[in-house]
Amino acid sequence: MSAQSVLEIRGLTVNYGAIQALKDVTITVHAGEVVTLIGANGAGKSTTLRAVSRLLNPRSGSIQYQGKDIARLRADEVVRAGIAHVPEGRRVLARLTVEDNLRLGAFVRTDNEAIEADLQAQFKRFPRLLERRKQLAGTLSGGEQQMLAIARALMSRPQLLLLDEPSLGLAPIIVREIFSIIRDLNQSGVTILLVEQNATLALKNSARGYVLEAGQITLEGPAGALIEDERVRRAYLG
Amino acid sequence: MLAQQLANGLAIGSVYAIFALGYTLIFSILGIINFAHGAIFTLGAYFTYTLMGLQFGFNGLLAQQKLPFGLPFWVALLVGAVIAGLFGVFLERIIFRPLRARGADPLLTLVASLGLAVAIVNIIQYLVGAETYSYPSGAALPGAPASVNFGTTEAPVIIRTAQLIIIAVAVLILIVLTFFINRTKTGRALRAVSEDATTSSLLGINTNQLIRLTFFLSGFVGGVAGTLVGLNVGITGPYLGISFGLKGLAVIVLGGLGSIPGAVVGGLLIGIVEALVPASLVSYRDALAFAILFIVLLVRPQGLLGRPLIQKV
Repeated sequence: MSAQSVLEIRGLTVNYGAIQALKDVTITVHAGEVVTLIGANGAGKSTTLRAVSRLLNPRSGSIQYQGKDIARLRADEVVRAGIAHVPEGRRVLARLTVEDNLRLGAFVRTDNEAIEADLQAQFKRFPRLLERRKQLAGTLSGGEQQMLAIARALMSRPQLLLLDEPSLGLAPIIVREIFSIIRDLNQSGVTILLVEQNATLALKNSARGYVLEAGQITLEGPAGALIEDERVRRAYLG
Repeated sequence: MLAQQLANGLAIGSVYAIFALGYTLIFSILGIINFAHGAIFTLGAYFTYTLMGLQFGFNGLLAQQKLPFGLPFWVALLVGAVIAGLFGVFLERIIFRPLRARGADPLLTLVASLGLAVAIVNIIQYLVGAETYSYPSGAALPGAPASVNFGTTEAPVIIRTAQLIIIAVAVLILIVLTFFINRTKTGRALRAVSEDATTSSLLGINTNQLIRLTFFLSGFVGGVAGTLVGLNVGITGPYLGISFGLKGLAVIVLGGLGSIPGAVVGGLLIGIVEALVPASLVSYRDALAFAILFIVLLVRPQGLLGRPLIQKV
């Protein structure tokens, strides 16, 4: 593997009972990149992310993060290793306050002063979360919940951020805001593996992309080339 | 007279409350009722008795046996509760975790916990018989009077020292537990796991570790409650915890499943109502607790302080 690859997924196969969800998937993410995974519903995009964060057990294949095999770690150990996963549907803890959600994002850390500083940094980045600091997360709007989910993931100071459908169900203006945040994050040095149904917007903000069809990678390359690719245009860009 | 009944009700109600807390802790994390809790409660009372270096009776495998040393009551209470807590962790490891790993139906887990309760009660009987045991009088506060009159000589409100101790310990447990859950990092993680275990693990929380901790806390609090009841009315045999097990169920359903303030309010309410039952109707006392439960559930199915069963998405 190359020195600067952060994540190397090789030959990943995942089964749900008798159904093969992923077959021999190989994906590389280099340090500092945004890599997008596009594909239809049920193609296995979320499954790929869930395998990396160890929410499910792959049948075979290896997942290397910074040169270490993480395919046998527990989900909480993956977070400790430096990977944060913003799951599909945001999954904020609705019965906890915004602030409690954010503090839980830093659960693996013990540097209390730096945590306070990061909390303020998130409030600066997402002023609406500051306004709603003491509110229960369940009372936030969809866009605010997505921001909270991203901010919460950042509280663990991840080196690799897995983002699952961050634009799902959000108004276009909020989607643009989310993507501008993703660009900022990447510029500040966070490597991102992004799963998106909004393929155009995702590829425009990515270095490279992979196309997943029925559990297999069918196409990969620089994002610019994928946007121009006839097959991608027909299937995903409309 | 009324003040006297209220005081009695408060004492028994505080035991109901901390007993029910043990149920509530586990329910809020795993969504199951652990029926073995009543048995752990009973064990707690026996552990304290044993650790005080007191002798067992004439029946059972351990007849006439006692430890070569004896701890003072409060130390024995604490150590006994820790052992009860560890016993809870042990049960989690050998029964509940394997069931969880297999994705067992909650009903199956419920039945397993019921089986555990029966097994533990029988093992206790096998070891120390079905006799009644009691802590030596004045064990908790040597030299203190057996009771204190808070009223006047004409209208006495006599509260036994044991009842005062129960109320004080229950209040202490509630304060510490509330602080722990609402104000500490681990408590925050517990609340997270109770809402969504998968998401919690994505935040770096080791959910199995927190589930172990919950079983420890539940067993610890149960053990303390068992000893307090032993102090108040004696250890009436291996079945001591069974009636509490059912009453505790009424308490948490009345208060609202998974709600800690609900367990407290429900416990005190049932305790006080029971104490107000006139002496002539005393054999209907238990029926009354369940009658209240029935009426409240007709009006408020989620319990007094529970969340509505159907949540807004």
